[in-house]
Amino acid sequence: MEFFNSHVLSIMTFLPLMVAAAIFIVPDDKFARVAALGGSILTFFVSLHVWHYFNAGSAKIQFVESYVWMPEFGIRAIFGVDGISLLLVMLTTALTPLVILSLWNSHVSNLRYFFGALLALQTGMLGALVALDLVFFYVFWEVMLIPMYFIIGIWGGARRIYATTKFILYTVVGSLLMLAAAIVLYISYHRQTGIYSTSILDLYNASLDTTTQLWLFGCFALAFAIKVPMWPFHTWLPDAHVEAPTAGSVILAGVLLKMGTYGFLRFAIPMFPLAVKSFAPILVFLGVVGIIYGALTAWVQQDAKKLVAYSSVSHLGFVVVGSVSLLADGSLSVEALTGAIYQMINHGVSTGALFFLVGVIYERRHTRMLADFGGLASVMPWFSVMLIIATLGSVGLPGTGGFVGEFLILLGTYQSSPVAAVMSATGVLLGAIYMLTLCRKLLFGPVTHDENKKMKDLSPLEFSYLVPLALLVIIMGVFPDFFLAKSKASIEHLAKNYRSYSLAIDSH
Amino acid sequence: MFSFPEITSAFYYTAAPVLILVAGSMITLLQGVSRGYSSQRAIEVVSWLTIFAAILAAVAMPVDQASFLAGGLLSGTLVRIAQLAILMISAAVMMMMREHHTAPAFFRGEVISIFLMLISGMLVLVSSDDLVTLFVGLELASIGLYVILGYVQPNRRSQEGAIKYFILGSVAAAILLFGFALLYASCGTMRLSGIVAALPPIAGHGWVRLGALLTLVGLGFKLALVPFHMWAPDAYESAPTGITAFMATTVKVMILTVALRLFAGAYSSLIDVWYPALIILAVLSVIAGNIMALVQSNLKRMLAYSSIAHSGYMAVAVCALSTTDTNLPVRAILFYLLTYVIVSLGAFAVVMSLETAENDQLTIDDLSGLAKKRPGLALAMTLFMLSFGGMPPTAGFIGKFFVFNAALNNHLYGLVFIGIIGSAISLFYYLRLVVRMYMAEPVAPFGAVNTAKGRFSLTNLILGFAVVSTLLLGTILPAEIMDRLVGAATEVARK
Repeated sequence: MEFFNSHVLSIMTFLPLMVAAAIFIVPDDKFARVAALGGSILTFFVSLHVWHYFNAGSAKIQFVESYVWMPEFGIRAIFGVDGISLLLVMLTTALTPLVILSLWNSHVSNLRYFFGALLALQTGMLGALVALDLVFFYVFWEVMLIPMYFIIGIWGGARRIYATTKFILYTVVGSLLMLAAAIVLYISYHRQTGIYSTSILDLYNASLDTTTQLWLFGCFALAFAIKVPMWPFHTWLPDAHVEAPTAGSVILAGVLLKMGTYGFLRFAIPMFPLAVKSFAPILVFLGVVGIIYGALTAWVQQDAKKLVAYSSVSHLGFVVVGSVSLLADGSLSVEALTGAIYQMINHGVSTGALFFLVGVIYERRHTRMLADFGGLASVMPWFSVMLIIATLGSVGLPGTGGFVGEFLILLGTYQSSPVAAVMSATGVLLGAIYMLTLCRKLLFGPVTHDENKKMKDLSPLEFSYLVPLALLVIIMGVFPDFFLAKSKASIEHLAKNYRSYSLAIDSH
Repeated sequence: MFSFPEITSAFYYTAAPVLILVAGSMITLLQGVSRGYSSQRAIEVVSWLTIFAAILAAVAMPVDQASFLAGGLLSGTLVRIAQLAILMISAAVMMMMREHHTAPAFFRGEVISIFLMLISGMLVLVSSDDLVTLFVGLELASIGLYVILGYVQPNRRSQEGAIKYFILGSVAAAILLFGFALLYASCGTMRLSGIVAALPPIAGHGWVRLGALLTLVGLGFKLALVPFHMWAPDAYESAPTGITAFMATTVKVMILTVALRLFAGAYSSLIDVWYPALIILAVLSVIAGNIMALVQSNLKRMLAYSSIAHSGYMAVAVCALSTTDTNLPVRAILFYLLTYVIVSLGAFAVVMSLETAENDQLTIDDLSGLAKKRPGLALAMTLFMLSFGGMPPTAGFIGKFFVFNAALNNHLYGLVFIGIIGSAISLFYYLRLVVRMYMAEPVAPFGAVNTAKGRFSLTNLILGFAVVSTLLLGTILPAEIMDRLVGAATEVARK
């Protein structure tokens, strides 16, 4: 137990990888699915432990572990969570078992490798969230790509190779620039202090001149902007989503995209505070364009999955706008930042559910075209209930998590820039239009296609992964405080003090 | 004036690997013309004994710096590392050749004799402090390579490659020799350590500068830096794959060892000459190598262009030697070299286990659907390609990290930017191979490649070693390796 307590984050991070290795060795699909589900649920319980014992009042880094890797170059593996990463960690560990459940009876080829890739991906995501060292962050950041590359490329649709190559090349160009920027930062810190360190806890203290900060912020921001993805770097996303298998889409939209916005909050903004002032208007502008562009493009889509994919571009625009809302006194808006973080989680839950639901009808009909459906409400009532809950969560109806997130973002942004807030608010309206259009075309009206008349409603297995998400959409809308209490201190610390940011280590 | 150099026991220890190889070369040559001892088996026995004896001798070599034969022979950490690397690669290549369909043609008296002789030339080259010995070693190695390239499998294609390599290589050798001559004429000494001392007062002189530039061109030829790369794709493609693997790795080891001695040491007062020129070569190699690799359909040609691009990355790190503190760049080069050698050997081992006597020019399409037929090989190849592309958690990432680190430390922002663009391009063709193996259906009925189930073989052993090393060098070993390279780095450090 002593060992568990002092290594809880590395256990949580590497447990999925261990299970993936076991799945790889044992050539049996049945073993693979049991092990994958068991492993991911175990990981979820470990993360619950972290959640439970996380000290809510503190903005410090908690559960810190530090291992020496390359002492000469100051590269250490430092793991820790604070209020900002904690919620995303929970989202990751909660979503993965559901994704694995969704594949339980799947008939795809080489199913066990699919499970292995998902678990390896989980290690990459958790590692990137808990790593507090630039090199380790980069390693996990890239490790995330490889399983996703295979998931899209092997189990994807017809144009999967094009989509997966585009996905990986876009991301790699950005992340290589980030690597170079990280090395420049590391060298500058050494020139100033004589100490080699890649730990961001040290690098927050590096005092660089404004020009350097602008360049480095630019490199980091480009990597994150591609990942988010922000307009105009979003073109890989619809391709990746359309070609990815359902499970891949859920993880991609649910967690991977948040790595970009998380990167802004953890790395770009606090490490290069002098650049924030110059870049914030650009980021807000791109965010607003993304909101409106994503919404308008989603509106005209004929393919349900593409529609949900473009809605992600729009929703993540909100998150970006909320992350960089500068107030008159130079601090970030606490409300907007809280909203941004809440919206990340919320988008993960509701869009994850939407992708699952699109997967449900695709599996039955092998088409996702809106024109091929209609009147499903009478044929598949439970499916319709779930879709409506997910839709309402996505458009931000009061009583769902989406409302809390979007409201806080708009509230904070209004204090910072009323124009941006008004423009973003049109995104909420457009969101209601395109999402309700989706619902109308799928669910209501007469059943025009005979094939749709005998479509089966949700199976118990489908219930098992959709009900938790639907419940979360509602619980997150009704009890936002339950989720945000643990993040409050960290968010306020970042918003107020990002210009002289430091993260203390909580040693309990 | 002339006095016969004193021969000590330390001299024999230092010269032992070379002497053993020369002796082995003579014995196999005689075996080749003998009546009773020229069977493949007999040749193999002698060649294995020779190579392992040479490895043992290199392990036992003294690591303290000393110089014998008026600078013709050095001992020291860098020499030992380079000699061990060359010998181990040779042993690995022999293991793989043994199971290749060209084995009967390779294990012949005269071929093995040349093979051992050229390895001894490489060892002479890396352990020399003297321009003449250096050149003799280089030519011994090069001439041996020209011959082996065309002689093992004497068909039109391989002879064309060999002739191309021979003509271009000879021109390069002449240029290099001319450069050495100019240096000697200006400095009055053949010894690199003497040149370091003699250069500073005359560094502005035109002939000296030309001499330095010509040596750079000569080395660039051997390293296949663009625009001196024309021989490489043809030579790589036409040679039996084991020899390709041998060329791709050992030549880089020996030339970079010399480059370290020259650019970190002897030429330090000529930085303004070689540095701008090398930057151009590095940029061209990274960009052109990667772009040309994009359009190749022949697997070995693709690996040839990729190796040109990797030479470019190493040249980037050599550019970083222009700083006052050469410690990090030297170690970055050596680490990159280590990862490159291991991953290349692994990749060529995959190619060799797929080749058959009927199809020894594999195309990228031949690998389609490989993951279904030979999952282990496909996985290994994927790992090697990711490592070549510099993706964590493989050795290639750490290598690139150190190279970028060394270059950025020296404010080479532009070069690193070019390196990044090159990496992104390279990932495209490395991943295309992965796409073929995992995401495509076999194009031809699977006759094109060797699909015999992998049982235990020496090639698989090398492959396994390469896989494990690629992962370990990317995860837990880098700190340890970098520590061990400190000795070599201080040796060549600018005084």
